[in-house]
Amino acid sequence: MLLSPEVLTLQILNIIFLVFVTVSLFLSIRIFFKWDINATTKEQYKLEKQSFLAATIIKYILAIKLPLFLFFIFTLDKLSISLTGAMCAAGVVDATQFGTYLFILKIINIYLFGFWLIIHNIDIKNEKLPYTKIKFGFFIFIFFIFITEVIVEYLMFDAINIDQMVSCCGTLYSSSATSLISNIFILDTKILLVLFYGLFMSLFISYKFKLQYIFSISNFLFLIISIVSLISFFGTYIYELPTHHCPFCFLQKEYYYVGYFIYTLLFIGTFFGFVASGTNPTDKNIEKYYKISIIFSFLYLVLVSAYPIIFYIKNGVWL
Amino acid sequence: MIELKNITKIYDLNINNKVTALNDINLKFNEGELIVLKGSSGSGKSTILSLVAALSKPTMGEVIVDNKRISKLPDNFASLYRRENIGFIFQKYNLIPTLSVKENILLPLVPNNPNEDECNSKLNIVLEQFNISNKKDTIVKNLSGGEQQRVAISRALINNPKIIIADEPTANLDEKLSLDFIDMLRQLKSQNKTIVVATHDPLFFNLDFVDKVIEIKNGNII
Repeated sequence: MLLSPEVLTLQILNIIFLVFVTVSLFLSIRIFFKWDINATTKEQYKLEKQSFLAATIIKYILAIKLPLFLFFIFTLDKLSISLTGAMCAAGVVDATQFGTYLFILKIINIYLFGFWLIIHNIDIKNEKLPYTKIKFGFFIFIFFIFITEVIVEYLMFDAINIDQMVSCCGTLYSSSATSLISNIFILDTKILLVLFYGLFMSLFISYKFKLQYIFSISNFLFLIISIVSLISFFGTYIYELPTHHCPFCFLQKEYYYVGYFIYTLLFIGTFFGFVASGTNPTDKNIEKYYKISIIFSFLYLVLVSAYPIIFYIKNGVWL
Repeated sequence: MIELKNITKIYDLNINNKVTALNDINLKFNEGELIVLKGSSGSGKSTILSLVAALSKPTMGEVIVDNKRISKLPDNFASLYRRENIGFIFQKYNLIPTLSVKENILLPLVPNNPNEDECNSKLNIVLEQFNISNKKDTIVKNLSGGEQQRVAISRALINNPKIIIADEPTANLDEKLSLDFIDMLRQLKSQNKTIVVATHDPLFFNLDFVDKVIEIKNGNII
């Protein structure tokens, strides 16, 4: 295993997390099956104390895991220096058979962990703790995905071979590549942009008229199209290179780490979009979730749109 | 109304050492009543007070105050309940010795973040009620025991709580000051406050304005 300080940090944190989530799992199972908020028995009072302990442990672990995703990308980016052929995190992701799956799993987990934190937050704000059973049941499900992530992460770092040459992002994210990613470039740019801005309009209209179902679908599609358009179109303006489509390079210092900002805006916006979609319409927090979603998605849209506009103003041409 | 239903409280000191402070007790106090809990040290009086104040939870059973199951409240809601409903008078006053009378009395208002006018108006009411207006800016450690007791009572009342809980309130007072304290209790009772006093001071047992005297022994009601 390539033991850089960053990889060591991630692995040590994973071991610590494993210990605590395992303890929380046992408590969660007991709480999930035996919880009865109306009971005044010795067992229920004990469960109430244990639920506080378990929820606190889970809350902090999941809350740490969210920014740790950015640290994970940072780690991959730093590792790229050690791998022949890699220019950024993309090369490291592609260096092993686990990289792409781990990356997708981590993105899914960000949303799942965020959902758990939201459920927990709603639960503890009600004196009757109405979602306690649901949140611990959900944690039991999350636990297994969490463990999978930790194992695949270990396997990925373990499988990295510094003596083996890897592909650079220019090859991986190229329209001439034969990989799954190359399918992104089949879409016409104009159609892609119409979809991108159209989906944002759909988000805004469904927010205004509180069309939860449409908001949910628009949000999901907006996430997909945002990533595709970032790779296919907007990224080229960040690099000011028409052939460079890497979704990782703009996480580097040369581009002022703007990628972290871009992805954070996108993930927060779409995350709260999903939360708003799943919230009971009578819940007083729903308006807050809608607003956070719309504001962050709008900021994302403004930020990525600024690059081609500024480029055009400066150079008088499109790429 | 305060109701304790089938309350058992066991303190787990360690695996082999468990103390049963209350053993399946049932109690009911009505609004505006003054209840005296009497019994020797370790009988379970203070445990009852801490349960009514939601400072601790029972091992079994439930505590209901004004139809609210306060023993089932999560900690953050229990704190809120205490802040809004309970005034606590401790045996050793539990004042902060380096703060002034005014600062000590105003402490329970801090979480509510009130404005200065509201603070002053509430402060002046309790200062006048307990005759300590002239000591407003005195540092608490420089006061006599009786004066400290009055500051403690003022602090307990600043939020205008419905329930006042006093744990051995006269244990550190001489007889005259104890009688003064009893007079203050009479005043509070006339304001329709529900008062629960835990004491083994015989001065309390034959007062004409006490509604109930309940004797506790080894965690049971006699």
